[in-house]
Amino acid sequence: MTDIKEKRPVTTTRPTTRKPRRHPHPIWYAVAGAVLVVALTYVLPPFRNYQLATVGAYFTVTAGLTVLTGLNGQLSLGHGALMATGAYSFALAQNKWLNMPLSIVAALITTTLAGVVIGLAAARLRGPYLAGLTLAVAVVVPSVTSTFDETLGSDMGLSIALDPPPGVLPMEQWQAWLCWGGALVTTFLLAMLVRGRFGRDLRAVRDDETAARLAGVNVARTQVLAFVVSAACAGLAGALFAFLAQSVSPGAFPLTLSLFLVMAIVIGGLGRLAGALCGALLLVLLPALAQTAGERSGSQHLEGNLALVIFGLVLVVVMLAAPGGLASIRFSTISRRKR
Amino acid sequence: MPTETPAHELSLDHITVRFGGLTALDDVSLRVPAGHIVGVIGPNGAGKTTLFNVICGFVTPTSGEISLDGKPWRPRPHHLNRLGIARTLQGVGQFSGLTVLENVQVGARGHHRRGQDAGHDAGKAAGHDGGKASGQDGRETDRPAGRGWRAGRERLSQQDALATLERCGVAEYAHQHPGALPYAIRKRIELARALAARPRILMLDEPAGGLDADEIHWLAGLIREIGTTVLLVEHHMDLVMSVCDQILVLDFGKPIALGSPAEISTNDKVTEAYLGAAA
Repeated sequence: MTDIKEKRPVTTTRPTTRKPRRHPHPIWYAVAGAVLVVALTYVLPPFRNYQLATVGAYFTVTAGLTVLTGLNGQLSLGHGALMATGAYSFALAQNKWLNMPLSIVAALITTTLAGVVIGLAAARLRGPYLAGLTLAVAVVVPSVTSTFDETLGSDMGLSIALDPPPGVLPMEQWQAWLCWGGALVTTFLLAMLVRGRFGRDLRAVRDDETAARLAGVNVARTQVLAFVVSAACAGLAGALFAFLAQSVSPGAFPLTLSLFLVMAIVIGGLGRLAGALCGALLLVLLPALAQTAGERSGSQHLEGNLALVIFGLVLVVVMLAAPGGLASIRFSTISRRKR
Repeated sequence: MPTETPAHELSLDHITVRFGGLTALDDVSLRVPAGHIVGVIGPNGAGKTTLFNVICGFVTPTSGEISLDGKPWRPRPHHLNRLGIARTLQGVGQFSGLTVLENVQVGARGHHRRGQDAGHDAGKAAGHDGGKASGQDGRETDRPAGRGWRAGRERLSQQDALATLERCGVAEYAHQHPGALPYAIRKRIELARALAARPRILMLDEPAGGLDADEIHWLAGLIREIGTTVLLVEHHMDLVMSVCDQILVLDFGKPIALGSPAEISTNDKVTEAYLGAAA
């Protein structure tokens, strides 16, 4: 052993290495989030509650997408379509059995299956080819609705029969609770999943596939699993959106939705659940902001397109100022102040 | 103690690899006895790395057979870790988004855990008889140590990884990201990741590339003390000659010599391959 210790590289002193800050257990974030949301729903007016619910639904899908794209390095432009799959499954199941939990499970099952199929194909593809495949999914799925127009109602979509909210709860509040319930459970499960070995394997596969394989990671299985998990999140989000809108139509899940989702997680900060939350907030706030700005200017053309312009601008500015996304800004300034 | 120890832990029989018209390996046979350190040398493009890729399952040989512990074996890259075979890459191949500790933890999958550190420092002979048994032993000692809950497993892999980093003298970088570290340090981390798997066969692909004399001296010491079978592809002759029990020389994919360092250094064919035919 003496031979081995003969030379210690570069630094001779043994510094007590700065250990990374320990984060609280994800359950505390989930609990805090739940408390905050419930409190908010009692203060906010109905429309704001509806918006809050929408943020929750978006958070569900962006969280799943950021795990796939940020941690595993697979770019999906098809998550809007997976949401549509979840939404339609939810609608069909709900209209048939009128049982919310069952319908949500149905949505999860169908999107998981869709995720397995797409994920198996995706695991063989890299970079632009993967983007192309998922883009194709985003284009194909909405047009399926017109092919089976008798069951899926073509462009008109389906309206969904829903039970009234329990007790004297206003609809919007009930929606916010359910959507955030879904979002917090999803993100909690995701956070638990990516904490340990699975999360490490995901990132290892993203960084260097050959080295990961040699280190014993089953690359294909990891990639398919990541896709399936992410698809299930999208499916749940789709069901939540269908529940929010009380109807489902292909127009609600256009190609731009998929693109917006990717943009949102990039702006928020790839690979971080906090970034997914920022992205979800932006997805609701920016269009609302654009709408008020458009209304004020009085031009209808502007109103329709302003959201896109703003999103593009925000993306450019954030990428220039903080390449790590919004979630990274806060973190770095705090740690700088501490030093 | 296995009653019948297979004479050769790993053996390659008449391996030929053709990429289109190019013959990368031509009828290469190699027997690697347990516990031996076998070097593979040859000029650039001789097929050394291809040979490694065949053993790792990245390249399927056009013809020939591989066997492990005397049984025919078709290698698959992600099974290697479980079988106790670890390989380092020629470049450094690290996960830039993970901390050094996490990098090593990826390799420490707990398949071959034996007691605390006993396995590592066991002498060559013991290390190799134990090679086969380690799988079972490891699993038995592992369970009571707290596999039941994920956190326990996570802590074990962290301990393993830290211990290996310590062993490679780079523990102080555990919480940094590898991208910013000097090359020599990253080489050590790469080595630590391979060792963290507690391999019985360690495959090193140019481990000395880019290292200075002191570093190479350290590496030689480590290889000698590792107590596992080692397959070594290396250009640095002093290292190869000083640590290897047996050396295979390849030239344009053909095996031209196989023998002890002393035999190789006096072999005419080898000199010819390296320096060109004598005038």
